[in-house]
Amino acid sequence: MRFPMFRRFVPLLAFLLTASEAAAQRSITISGYVKDASNGEALIGANVYVKETMRGTATNTYGYYVLNVEPGRHTIAVSYIGYEEFTQVVEATIDQKLNIAIKPMVIQAREFEVVGERKKENTEGTQMGTVDLDVQRLNTLPALLGEVDILKTIQFLPGVQSNGEGNSGFYVRGGGPDQNLILLDNATVYNASHLFGFFSVFNADAVKNIELIKGGMPANYGGRISSVLDINMKEGNDKAFHGQGGIGLISSRLTLEGPIVKDRGSFIVSGRRTYIDILTKPFISDTAAFAGSGYYFYDLNAKANYRISDKDQVFLSGYFGRDVFTFSGSGQGDPKFRIPWGNSTVSARWNHVFGPKLFLNTTATFSDYTFSFNGEQDQFSFRLFSGIKDYGLKLDLAHYPSARHRLKYGAQYIYHIYTTSTVEFTSGDTEFDIAKPPKLHAHESAVYVLDEFDITDQLRINAGLRVSRFDHVGPYINFLLDERERYEDADTIASGKRIKTYTGIEPRLSARYRIDGNSSVKASFNRGQQYVHLASFSSIALPTDVWIPSGTRVKPQIGTQYAVGYFRDLFSDVVEASVEVYYKDMDNLIEYREGAEPQSNGNTNYDTQLVFGEGYSYGAELFVKKRTGRMNGWLGYTWSRTMRTFPDINNGEEFPSRWDRRHDLSLVVAYNLNKRWDLGGTFVYATGQAVTIPVNRYWIEGRLVSEYTERNGYRMVPYHRLDLSATLNGRTTKQRKDPATGAVTEVPKRFTSSWTFGVYNAYNRRNPYFIYFGAEGSPSEGNFRVAAKQVSLFTILPSVTWNFKF
Amino acid sequence: MELQVLTNRILGFALSGLLLSGCEKEITVDLPETKAKVVVEGTIESGQPPIVILTRTQSYFAPTSLSAIASIFIQDALVTVDDGVTVHVLDRICSDLIPDSLLDEAAAATGISAELLAQASICVWTKLDNSLLGEEGRTYRLRVETDGNSLTSSTKVPPGVALDSTWFKLAEQRPDDDSLGFLWGRLSDPDTAGNAYRWFARRISLGADGEPKDSRFLAPLFSVFEDRYFNGLRFDFAYNRGDEPFSSAEDDNNAESGYFKRGDTVVVKFASIGLREYRFYNSAANNIASQGDVFSTPSNVQSNITGGLGIWAGLGTRFDTVVCVP
Repeated sequence: MRFPMFRRFVPLLAFLLTASEAAAQRSITISGYVKDASNGEALIGANVYVKETMRGTATNTYGYYVLNVEPGRHTIAVSYIGYEEFTQVVEATIDQKLNIAIKPMVIQAREFEVVGERKKENTEGTQMGTVDLDVQRLNTLPALLGEVDILKTIQFLPGVQSNGEGNSGFYVRGGGPDQNLILLDNATVYNASHLFGFFSVFNADAVKNIELIKGGMPANYGGRISSVLDINMKEGNDKAFHGQGGIGLISSRLTLEGPIVKDRGSFIVSGRRTYIDILTKPFISDTAAFAGSGYYFYDLNAKANYRISDKDQVFLSGYFGRDVFTFSGSGQGDPKFRIPWGNSTVSARWNHVFGPKLFLNTTATFSDYTFSFNGEQDQFSFRLFSGIKDYGLKLDLAHYPSARHRLKYGAQYIYHIYTTSTVEFTSGDTEFDIAKPPKLHAHESAVYVLDEFDITDQLRINAGLRVSRFDHVGPYINFLLDERERYEDADTIASGKRIKTYTGIEPRLSARYRIDGNSSVKASFNRGQQYVHLASFSSIALPTDVWIPSGTRVKPQIGTQYAVGYFRDLFSDVVEASVEVYYKDMDNLIEYREGAEPQSNGNTNYDTQLVFGEGYSYGAELFVKKRTGRMNGWLGYTWSRTMRTFPDINNGEEFPSRWDRRHDLSLVVAYNLNKRWDLGGTFVYATGQAVTIPVNRYWIEGRLVSEYTERNGYRMVPYHRLDLSATLNGRTTKQRKDPATGAVTEVPKRFTSSWTFGVYNAYNRRNPYFIYFGAEGSPSEGNFRVAAKQVSLFTILPSVTWNFKF
Repeated sequence: MELQVLTNRILGFALSGLLLSGCEKEITVDLPETKAKVVVEGTIESGQPPIVILTRTQSYFAPTSLSAIASIFIQDALVTVDDGVTVHVLDRICSDLIPDSLLDEAAAATGISAELLAQASICVWTKLDNSLLGEEGRTYRLRVETDGNSLTSSTKVPPGVALDSTWFKLAEQRPDDDSLGFLWGRLSDPDTAGNAYRWFARRISLGADGEPKDSRFLAPLFSVFEDRYFNGLRFDFAYNRGDEPFSSAEDDNNAESGYFKRGDTVVVKFASIGLREYRFYNSAANNIASQGDVFSTPSNVQSNITGGLGIWAGLGTRFDTVVCVP
């Protein structure tokens, strides 16, 4: 492999470095980690600043900060919501290290925080369309069947849409499901849902922090054109052994964490399993049609970290999850199926602090998604499988040359191995002649540089450039097809031989202009290129959807986004508000052509049935969030439009995307009633989904056939829903009597628990899930009629969950 | 080879099983008005005259009475078939001119129910004088002129392929059942790529009413397959029993539905068809089976008619008789 482009890039990096070093003179650097004093977890996005000047910075994903100050005496302060404020006077004469541990606040009335911990980040940062979620505080919000789900919480944010009832799939600013980069400790998660999207794979107990970037993606992220969802797992308590867990209606969870070496290293292990199958088994008789069928999913997260020295820290984390569906009828001749699918990820990370101003993060990642379907009936047996496997390496350097510059640069590489849909079928001794397509292989690489630069106190820019490259390489069999798309011959391309190469120049620019201490305007432009694609035959995300690479016919998707926004902090930063407008252009989108069939994907090229088109999306988003207080939460509203044009679909005419929603409103409210009770409520309203419905009917051999005219030409009725929850917190302290003095004191309890009661769809709205057209009766008997039926999934659903901690 | 479709359906089935609280309701949908299209259902089989039925599309929610359905049948058209030598003008036969005693036979020949034939004047086009009989290997061009529409198509009657053997085998899907089963066939597919087949069966043993159990050859919903994955191979396959659309027969509405039964005598019609014809029947089955659920993308039937909808299919047929004894 050669990277000529990268070599050209090196001088540019060197230039940027020297330029910034020159600007860095005469400042002292204070750097270090900010941690939670109670458990040693690194705190992400804590504000570290100089009290006298109110200028400062925020900690990175690893809790690391670098503060450049003038020589002299300064009061260094750390503020983080939910924690006691920390201050320390520092005599800054030489560069120094300052590791800070801050204590969680002991609050009588527990404050409920949902998003955005970075005070002032709303108006300070250059980031647009970015939201942070602190997962620990989601537990008191209502959740479907009591299963706290971070992806569903994300859907409450403006610009993010769900894929229908109960679905954890999300769609950002009109982009498709494959355009979201979902990272779990830097490893890509390809299918983030269990059970057809009803639950996400992220066990909230194991997750520490989530960041969603839906616009203005900085240059250190790439490979997807819509959004980045960056999820960090908890590191584990390095002070003492603790556990937490919960028992819910459909699943139970248990998390254990503790020190490996006190204050130096810790581990966390977290598991979750559903038990619908175990609960229903005793009630299904051996002869019932459902006997022998079952479904479950489980997740296992584990992470360990160890601080070798003040300069080096290593992390190892992994995720393993599976969905398994089995079916075997009661009769000997009945079909039997076993359908497992799931993700595994591993990341190994090494953080190294070269000096106070240079921080290196090296990550090696592995991720794997597999789906398989194994079935047999009588003398037939069949197997269908697909998947994607990645081996990745990332080097990210954060460089803080001066108070005005925050540089990041690095390189990323992923080796992709795709298993496109592969089928085996036998009838007795005859094995069908289905060419096993060799796995597809590709190298994806990128280098980037970005500088967050304070040009003046008012104007800050974040300018970045990402250069990406994708090589689809052999081994590959290129089927040569006749006009009937039957293969006549095949070209065999040798292992490692380059089949198609694409490169992308991806500029990223965002700017913030501060109008005054409480308001700013921001603008961003960014362009991204995406080399992996998801092709789907159904209108909901199914585990059978197959990931495919860019290649000879499939060009990289290109996304260009422009956004402008006004951001304001109100009432002494208690409320933050923003309005953003965006326009997004998407090229080289893929779809299956009309009438394409999954079973025709064999003995042909993976791209034969695909067609290509383009799309655009524009909209306005309003976000108002109350950060603190006994009552807090947010209101999000989006007005948007998302269209697609494919020459081979809908007669080449423009049509609304499935994710086109004119109006989308979400309200999230949490209220701390008293010491024992927390209340939560969420409300959503969204314009009905665009669907394709039959317009005309005709008859073939006496059976009713539908004629479709317009793609997504019909709107289902609007979706709206109210969910409520109430959490009863158990006592956190107990009374202890001193035997000597007889004095009674309150001491913390080792074991605490809480009950969360929830109601999903509180006013029992029959929201549409899909519409189907059907006939009943018989024409010859005179009782024949046709009707459109709307299917709803979830009526009012109560839930109860018991959570505990020790 | 409906494997991935099957996978999605099974996942869909699993899903529906889990949605214990789901419910459905009828809704009113306003549909745009579009111009009616002409639908052709035409076949020409080995040694048989062509049969062409012409209907029109209707708005999905158009009235559904028998007379309203009868009104979709086109009465007036010029239908010709060019066999490469002669252009044959097909004869029009309408059901009001057929004696009642022949209605059942007409129903068997056309696939239109005898009740409908008796109640309305329904016309089919064919060649009565045996001057045009399907010849294997020959291409037939169809032309239809009606209502100012001109429709054309072309099809070839492929050489028929006889099954090596056919037999009955118990399904064993119920613990106490020893009479219901499926029909099996062994096919040696010719070593030329692009063969496609359609399966029909007709129970000729008599029912309780003294008439044959099936009045015509019936194809199950997914009745076609092609040799994309078995070119030149020999293998066994099985079929369930097809039924009349909207059948009110007892054995189509009880546990015997979809099964052949011990003691039945069944004639199998195994037809070779072209790939375009395969795509039509296959996409029609998908269209009929899905009707807008979320597990598939709604898509139109892939017609081989220019200027309209429907099918003009040549069938190279071979027959076999099975007595259902396991």
